[in-house]
Amino acid sequence: MRVSRVLLVAVAAGGVLALALGGEALAGREPTRTVAAPWAVAGPGLPLGADVLGRDVLARVLAGGRDLTLGALAAAGAASSLGVAGGLWAGWSRGRAARAARALSDLLLVLPLLLVAMLAVVTVPGPAAVIAGTVFGGAPLTLRVMADATAQARHTGYVEAALSRGERGLSVLFREVLPAHAGLVGADLGQRMVLAVQLSAALNVLGFGPPPPEADWAAMLRENLPGIGLNPAAVLAPAAALALLAGSVAGLSHILAGRS
Amino acid sequence: MSGLAVSGLTVVGPAGAAVVRDLDLSTARGEVLALVGPSGTGKTTVLRAVLDVLPPGLTRIAGRVEWDGAELRATRRWRRRHVGYLGQDPSSALHPLLTARAAVLEPLRVLGRSRAVRRARAEQALADVGLDPEELGERLPHQLSGGQAQRVALARALAADPDLLVLDEPTSALDPEALETAVALIRRRRAEGRSATLIVSHDGSVVAGLADRVVRLGMPPAAAPPAAPRAATRARTAGPVLAVGGLGLDRPDGAPLLDDAGLAIAPGEFVAVLGPSGCGKSTLLRALAGLHPVRAGTATLLGEPLRWPVRGRSVPALRALSLVGQDPLAALNPARPVSAALRRPLRLLRGLSRREAAAEADRLLAAVGLPADTARRYPSALSGGQRQRVALARALAAGPALLLADEITAALDAGTAERVLDLLDLLRQKEELAVLAVTHDKTVAARADRVLRIGRSMTDDRR
Repeated sequence: MRVSRVLLVAVAAGGVLALALGGEALAGREPTRTVAAPWAVAGPGLPLGADVLGRDVLARVLAGGRDLTLGALAAAGAASSLGVAGGLWAGWSRGRAARAARALSDLLLVLPLLLVAMLAVVTVPGPAAVIAGTVFGGAPLTLRVMADATAQARHTGYVEAALSRGERGLSVLFREVLPAHAGLVGADLGQRMVLAVQLSAALNVLGFGPPPPEADWAAMLRENLPGIGLNPAAVLAPAAALALLAGSVAGLSHILAGRS
Repeated sequence: MSGLAVSGLTVVGPAGAAVVRDLDLSTARGEVLALVGPSGTGKTTVLRAVLDVLPPGLTRIAGRVEWDGAELRATRRWRRRHVGYLGQDPSSALHPLLTARAAVLEPLRVLGRSRAVRRARAEQALADVGLDPEELGERLPHQLSGGQAQRVALARALAADPDLLVLDEPTSALDPEALETAVALIRRRRAEGRSATLIVSHDGSVVAGLADRVVRLGMPPAAAPPAAPRAATRARTAGPVLAVGGLGLDRPDGAPLLDDAGLAIAPGEFVAVLGPSGCGKSTLLRALAGLHPVRAGTATLLGEPLRWPVRGRSVPALRALSLVGQDPLAALNPARPVSAALRRPLRLLRGLSRREAAAEADRLLAAVGLPADTARRYPSALSGGQRQRVALARALAAGPALLLADEITAALDAGTAERVLDLLDLLRQKEELAVLAVTHDKTVAARADRVLRIGRSMTDDRR
């Protein structure tokens, strides 16, 4: 019974991710072409109506998730792997450098995340800013959690047994400590992914996303907000897509966390 | 009836196989019911099913649990008000960030008395189990010995004077004196007649001394003679396996434990280490294994000087010395199957091929009395006693010359413990395995060639 529920969540969340990444192929109509009057309501051939420039909202929703999702995946992957690697090292090593790394990560946690993201977005292009923001805001959290877990694992019987058969530090970390905390790492990756989606959406709403004719969920919110009275679907559909993406990622991370 | 009544209890595992089948048991107030049976027959599972705290993967599919004649509904509230529970693993049972006193104070909150009253009761509860609240009250679990941690957990279970006391191996890590105190304490509660007690224990004398009735789970396993794992060829040297001189050890907080201690162990010799809880028995073993810092002292192993931290040791030294720790819960990596834990040392230290290692791992499991399908299982699917035997098999995998054994029979029933000790005897004869064993168990100590007693110094009783 439990297994089937896990499978259901995994399939649903995987489907949402796949749709976000490859939805453009299903659009059937170019997302940048004007096909109706601005904010035309839903009708035959236009299931969700038209947007500010009379473009098909459904086609734009299907096409507008790819860059955002790819960017968020890259950002979460970078933040999580940096944090996990740093945490394993900082928790294992008792040297001065490891303590300095912990102190530095604590210092980064004090900086307001949005300030860092804004600084990044005015100096580098949008996707790079999302990665930088997620890494600066997320990796220190991962590092802290992972370092504490690693430090505790040092004294478990299985790590001591590994040391007693002459395994080297790296081997102990990757053969014993990391597998034992696979659930933690999975849950953490999900958290960073949610952070990256939110950060990416926030920056794109502010206009740092892809240049105008390109479809983007967050940019669609901004473009179509003035016309919400005329065609609500033009705002609600991308908003729902964003929520669904974040929810699916959270669901996936929940499954990963429960696995161990 | 008053007290606890369980009928038709059936618990199934993840694959739908019954772990506990149609079990009936009851214990009235003023009564002690003992659950006994070989390792892996579901004793702990029964306790958890009764308390409705089964871990994921186990499901209660049938059965009725009644308390004072009414079927239990709100089990969380019932547990909080009426139950004192002592889990199997002393060092994992305590919250790592709560001091001993705070741990005992925690269940007292439900009483709603003033802070001073609760504090006094907590101190009394600690004193009742033979711990000095002044000395140990502010210590964190990692600063307590296994026996002390178990007694803190017992004090916590007893502190609020629960109506139902559920004890899972409450005495596995206790020395005889502490055992006496604990048994007397439980007997006193029984005499007061207000509370019911459910106890799981492998210690026959504890069960005989306490229980009004005994429920037996599972069939006793067929007593096949232990088959020794294939001898690992090893260069022998004359003289002692291990000789240690001038050893000085400190507790983690810096207080001295041992000064100028020395010991020598001959090939094939069985030396038992005895001493009160907290005197440094486990620390001595861990230090010899290179896992605890050593203040002073030198050692030679098989004629070669032995380096202290384990990381500096050569492959022959690593092979020759292996440790089985006290805590069966953390001994195995939860993310790796038993086979991985056994094959790795075989491949790394004995240089076996993948096929040879797999065959040898099966032989090791058989030697400690575990079925071959254990290799595929994960630690979460094993009972405490089964995990302990896997840990022992892992320690024997490298073909050691000296086994450092910390309470290796504590989680085992009498029959299985006997079998494990027989296996060690066999290895001592055939391969001259020397054993240095920390134990509270008199039957283990009785098999030893000699006994080391630890106080501030060590004394050696030759037999």
